[in-house]
Amino acid sequence: MLARSDVKSFISRFPSFEDETLSMYYAPRMPKAMIKETEELIALARKFNDEVARPLCLELDRKTHEDPDYFPVELVKKANEWGFYTLWIPKLFGGKGYNMPSISYFLEEIGSVCLGIANVIGVHYLGMTGLMMSCNARVTKKILHEVVEGEKRGEPCLLSFSITEPNAGTDVEEVELEAMGRLGCHAKKVKGGYIVNGSKIFISMGHLSKWTVLYAYTDLKRGADTKVSMMVKVGMKGFSFGRHENKMGQRICPASVLNFEDCFVPDEYVLTDPESLKSFTKHPSRDMNMRHIDYVFSISRAAVGAFGIGAARGAFNAALKYANESEIDGKPMVTYEWVQCRLAEMYANVRLGRLTYQEANYANQHRGPYNLLQMKPMYYYLKYMPLWFFNIILAPLLNRSIGTWLMSKWYLDWQKPEDQSLTTGLASMAKFCCTDLGVKNCQMALELMGKAGLRQENGAEKILRDAKLLQIYEGTNQLNRINLFKSIIAPAAPKATFFEE
Amino acid sequence: MLTALNKDLKPFEELITKFSKDELKPHVEEHDRYPFGTLDTNIIESGFHRIYDLGFLGIMLPEKYAGIGQGISAMCMMLGHVAEVDASYSLIIFTSGMSQQIILNADADGIAEKIYPIAKNAQEYLVAFPSFTDPGQAAALPQASSSGTGYTLTGKLDYLVLGNFSKWAVIPARTTDSKSYSFFLVDLNDKGVRKSNAIFSLGLHACPIIDITLNGVSAQIIGGEGKGEKYFEATSRIMHVAAAAINAGIMRGSLKEAIDYTKEREQGGKLVINWSEVRMLLANMAVKSKAAELCVTQTCKAIDEKLKDWGQISIASTLHVHDLACEVVTDGVQLLGGNGYMKDYGQEKRYRDARQVQALLGLVPLKKLALIKEIIA
Ligand SMILES: Cc1cc2nc3c(=O)[nH]c(=O)nc-3n(C[C@H](O)[C@H](O)[C@H](O)COP(=O)(O)OP(=O)(O)OC[C@H]3O[C@@H](n4cnc5c(N)ncnc54)[C@H](O)[C@@H]3O)c2cc1C
Repeated sequence: MLARSDVKSFISRFPSFEDETLSMYYAPRMPKAMIKETEELIALARKFNDEVARPLCLELDRKTHEDPDYFPVELVKKANEWGFYTLWIPKLFGGKGYNMPSISYFLEEIGSVCLGIANVIGVHYLGMTGLMMSCNARVTKKILHEVVEGEKRGEPCLLSFSITEPNAGTDVEEVELEAMGRLGCHAKKVKGGYIVNGSKIFISMGHLSKWTVLYAYTDLKRGADTKVSMMVKVGMKGFSFGRHENKMGQRICPASVLNFEDCFVPDEYVLTDPESLKSFTKHPSRDMNMRHIDYVFSISRAAVGAFGIGAARGAFNAALKYANESEIDGKPMVTYEWVQCRLAEMYANVRLGRLTYQEANYANQHRGPYNLLQMKPMYYYLKYMPLWFFNIILAPLLNRSIGTWLMSKWYLDWQKPEDQSLTTGLASMAKFCCTDLGVKNCQMALELMGKAGLRQENGAEKILRDAKLLQIYEGTNQLNRINLFKSIIAPAAPKATFFEE
Repeated sequence: MLTALNKDLKPFEELITKFSKDELKPHVEEHDRYPFGTLDTNIIESGFHRIYDLGFLGIMLPEKYAGIGQGISAMCMMLGHVAEVDASYSLIIFTSGMSQQIILNADADGIAEKIYPIAKNAQEYLVAFPSFTDPGQAAALPQASSSGTGYTLTGKLDYLVLGNFSKWAVIPARTTDSKSYSFFLVDLNDKGVRKSNAIFSLGLHACPIIDITLNGVSAQIIGGEGKGEKYFEATSRIMHVAAAAINAGIMRGSLKEAIDYTKEREQGGKLVINWSEVRMLLANMAVKSKAAELCVTQTCKAIDEKLKDWGQISIASTLHVHDLACEVVTDGVQLLGGNGYMKDYGQEKRYRDARQVQALLGLVPLKKLALIKEIIA
């Protein structure tokens, strides 16, 4: 009916049909082994839920109320024993190399039982993402190797991600705002490294992590252009912990203040700075900084979406259990249509939300940060290549500057702006949709359960407390809505400007 | 509660606002700390005497029982202002109000006289009640058996508000002969009463709630046997709007804190309140909060004037206010960003408290179904 060229022209017109229906295009391209791997991880998560998370989560929540300074050291050790802190470290860096999109399903599974425990595991990968997406192959290799060794020795080596400051929260999530914000974490270049002064707040797992990915600025007034990202280790002179926040929920996962007072960070732990960016790209450093942070958030916001669906599922499970066990006027609650319809809606929220984070994952796989590792040939190559190949042939490459140059070129310099927009936009969409649905299901569960839902021992009220955080971190849901507009809808609104009102 | 529509309440309003600010506010954080529900008897006692002297605890109690005989409007005004500071105290007053109203609706003169005019302290005056339960919906209630001179109660009752604080409780129980339940006055210090520890609940932490088990506890019936449902209906019809008033107060507090914070906090080089999306969120909160005030005020008026269908109006507007409150407190946290999630600010408490208030007097969906049943009858 239509010539192929006409078809192409119509479907690529805004909104591009492929961009709007990623799963249709990309699901068939997914290596089959990825599904098997993901199944294996879900089984592992369910086993962990049965043996560790479910028996512990309410007790741990109570414990953190009794002692607000309680740290989940034992839990972290357990997760380490279960091998959870190296599951998604690529084999190239010595890890188990599970495919990255699978982390969403895994975290949803754990999050459906306890969001706090899911974050105790998940936020380490936010740190890993911040590290890897800097594209500094040498430092990445060194630190991830420590994580792997820590697992073997039974001494967990976790990573945290430190960007939020007392006066800059939303501002550090977006370079346009960063450029106008009141930043406070200063990095001064000195011989052999940087001296850092300032503090970071609300850092998840801060007190329990060995390394943190830190952003600081050589010029606080021009933060977006002068960002320095670096790795700071516990024990470095001038780095100390401040207070441990007293939060409403997710109490098992501490949020910490990190202080830097004349903290010297040697060059060997600097991931990127304005100079290093110039070595591989002609793009302004502000654009590269945005690309880097967009990459990090494309991954982490999809994961927070999965947390949101974990919450939605947890609330649904609690409501279903209650409805199964209760009676109204002598009849089982589940025999009433109105109960069935409410539960059906809650279930639908879970499925709908999952589709949005799956779309974000497809974007990441084919157009974003996973595009190299998840290409079919590369995927199988990495999956089945014997370990010696990585250790002997590839690993030495990573130590050379060519390793960093190649990664930076591929991920940062050559990234297409339209792909960057698509991935960051869909991740934002997943983040706010799923987390809003999570809170919505909690509300529905409480309404269905009445006073039973209010009791901590029944679990539902804890999910409501835990879920609220999801609407705040990784960019508030307001910022994520704006980012969706800016990234995906803006071509249809040529007069739109951003953060200029 | 818009006192502009009811000028008589103005003097009360000034008293209660001052009381909340001076006596309650300094203790909000301390009373929200684990272990929950361990009321500091000294604070309650000193506060009690102040608000008792002011007449607030007997606000709807007739003068013959040493009350001040005001209507639901005064009650709602008071609950709202207290809730703006700490809704836990509103629950204490609400619960005491529920017990009073059950007793009054049952015309149980002897019981009222035995408690209110002679109470020496808060424990004796504030009568415990299962405020989150519609006894008609409860799967199980304690069993009452007649013992010639009176009754004895046996069985479990969950979620009794003030159960580990008060001397007296109004308890629903079933007698063998009646289809409906009846209410009884029980001395909670009776040795047949076994009390659980304070329950760890979502919110309203300053107000203790426990489960109790009764084992042959002697009890005095309140009103007629099998008339519990009738008394509860008459009481809850009025007291629904009192629950709404608590949530309207919480909303007011949430909006105020959100405005105060966003007027101070800067992001992107300007005050956060100057970003239009922040204003839109605040505006949505304001619309809901103001509408809730009006719902409460007009519902009180409908009740006072015994308008046609006032009972339906009371339930409908209350359910609506609760919905609005749960939305408002969620945005209230949101507008403070990460700080909203921390115990250093008031928003996270309101987020929890509003949901707890929504659960007062039974399951929300069943209240809706009861309303429509009445409308279509
Ligand atoms: C428990 C917890 C754990 C966290 N973990 C980490 C972590 O591991 N690492 C880390 O770096 N950070 C972490 N964060 C910080 C988190 O990402 C920030 O709290 C979040 O980005 C919001 O920043 P803020 O709290 O400063 O709020 P603000 O930025 O001050 O926002 C306040 C309000 O203003 C709105 N607002 C601000 N600017 C705009 C604008 N331009 N347009 C419209 N609305 C606007 C916001 O949406 C919000 O409603 C964590 C936070 C919490 C609470």
